Amino acid sequence: MPPRTRTRTRARGLSAFSIVAFIAAVVLLALFPKFVENPYAVHLMVTFFLAVIMGEAWNLIGGYGGQYSVGHAAYFGIGAYTVLVLLQTNGVAPWWGLLPALALALGVAAIVGSITFRLRGPYFVLASIAVAEIFRLVALNWKSATNGAEGILLSGVPPIVIGGTEIVNFSSKVPFYYMGLALAVLTVLVTVWFQGSKLGYYLQAIREDQDAANSLGIPLTFYKNIALMISAFFTAWAGALYGLYVGFIDPQTAVGLDISVQIVLTAIIGGIGTVFGPVVGAAILVALSEALRSNAITDLLVAGGLVSETSSIGIFLKDHLSHAHMLIYGFLVAIVILFMPDGVLGAVNNAARRRRARAAAGGAR
Amino acid sequence: MSETDSPILDIQHVSKQFGGLAANSDVSFSMTEGMILGLIGPNGAGKTTLFNCITGYYPPTKGDVIFKGKRLNGMTPDQVCKLGMVRTWQKVRPLAKLSVIDNVVVGALVRTGSVPEAREIAREQLHVVKLAHKADFLAGGLPIGERKKLEVARVLATKPDLLLLDEVMGGLNPAESEDIIQLILEIKQRGLTQMVIEHDMKAIMRISDRIVVLNSGEKLAEGAPLEIVSNPEVVTAYLGEAHT
Repeated sequence: MPPRTRTRTRARGLSAFSIVAFIAAVVLLALFPKFVENPYAVHLMVTFFLAVIMGEAWNLIGGYGGQYSVGHAAYFGIGAYTVLVLLQTNGVAPWWGLLPALALALGVAAIVGSITFRLRGPYFVLASIAVAEIFRLVALNWKSATNGAEGILLSGVPPIVIGGTEIVNFSSKVPFYYMGLALAVLTVLVTVWFQGSKLGYYLQAIREDQDAANSLGIPLTFYKNIALMISAFFTAWAGALYGLYVGFIDPQTAVGLDISVQIVLTAIIGGIGTVFGPVVGAAILVALSEALRSNAITDLLVAGGLVSETSSIGIFLKDHLSHAHMLIYGFLVAIVILFMPDGVLGAVNNAARRRRARAAAGGAR
Repeated sequence: MSETDSPILDIQHVSKQFGGLAANSDVSFSMTEGMILGLIGPNGAGKTTLFNCITGYYPPTKGDVIFKGKRLNGMTPDQVCKLGMVRTWQKVRPLAKLSVIDNVVVGALVRTGSVPEAREIAREQLHVVKLAHKADFLAGGLPIGERKKLEVARVLATKPDLLLLDEVMGGLNPAESEDIIQLILEIKQRGLTQMVIEHDMKAIMRISDRIVVLNSGEKLAEGAPLEIVSNPEVVTAYLGEAHT
């Protein structure tokens, strides 16, 4: 037997600090609606949870597996449309409608993966965009089911009733808050499991070098498909939740390219291939997007005395900044890619690793 | 004939055609269990192409590869690996953003679904190649000598019966090469069969039980190391007509 050395690496799971911080954050978030009744704050949090769910889901195949799908809107749309069509047209309760929605997402992911995972790099990206566009066009033109460009307006989400007593009614945002929180926590936990599993190792090997991975006994398409299916499953779930929450979907808001891009940005800005990267990315993007949309940035500049409200610059910003949020996203991505190629969380981790390495080198001398 | 005498690998009339270019034509030889076979030849002789044909990267245009009694034609590299034959790469391919030990864990996972078990196997293999002290480093940051060792540890972790080593000494200094030679001999001691592509003639003469010489895609000669160095055709292929 070779001598056993004790390695200094933490296990590939989370550090004790991360676990404690995560539990504390979840407890605080669970208590949040008890203390904050402002519906706008609750709405922001639901938006944040949705972004976390989708970012974490994409991260499995995109971040760990390196397969940059820019077509996750397809799965989001499948979730949203299946549940809303079944509810609005056929009167199927959403918790039952969710089952065929998720099953459909799994099936579509398996088929799409089997076809597009033969492609590598930019060709795979283009194929993923094309697939999502096909689904958007289906939603737009299959009018008998989807109501085409007019979209589907929910007349209401039926309450959950067990044995004649109403358990949950969806007249407020709070039930959606808890569903979003629960699903966000679930996707984080799935990612923790994934990262330490054979599946996670294999996907990372595929990301780093497909030929090397293949020579080490990894059937590439099979493992990419499994990861894509898990990813599609949670993305569709998020889509269903979004549709029920907003109460209205149309091809653009449920299957549009914007959604695919936002999902990718959430993961890239936060840090791909890390458990909490998409959480950080979601926080940044939701905060930024709301600040732009609500003119909070202009208001802040005015309040800080930097810009006069009545000056031409002030009027220009008030009128136009809120329309420019995609533009500012673009700048943000450019900045992150230039200065933090591993995302915000990646940059923090790298700095910590360098500090540890320096400390270790100093200690050895 | 007993089980051990039947060849572990039998290459029968393998040809590989790329359009009009014959990278391998009608190459045949076989390997018995536990041997080290040296595969040599000038640049462009078709050594790496032959590796690719044997391990499933592309199917041979003609001929059969028979490993442990099974025809491999049409099998993919991952299936070949599961059968027990695995190769290293001339240009090393570390999984750069994974740690050294995680690279080896990926190899070990082909035989087990359990990550802790795979880590145990990986740790043992890092000791074999003397890289245990670098277990937690990122693979992308290793110098070339250690990357070559990592390649070997990673393929050893797949628990192969037959290793194909593609220029594992390429680009190494003499001390590092010597390390690798000792490693190859140690692997032989463990009973593994190895096919080694190498340009360093001294090294190949020392480690090989048998040598196959390729030239322009064809098998030029096969024999024990001493037969090969005294073979006039081989000398011509390497050094040109004037030396014969």
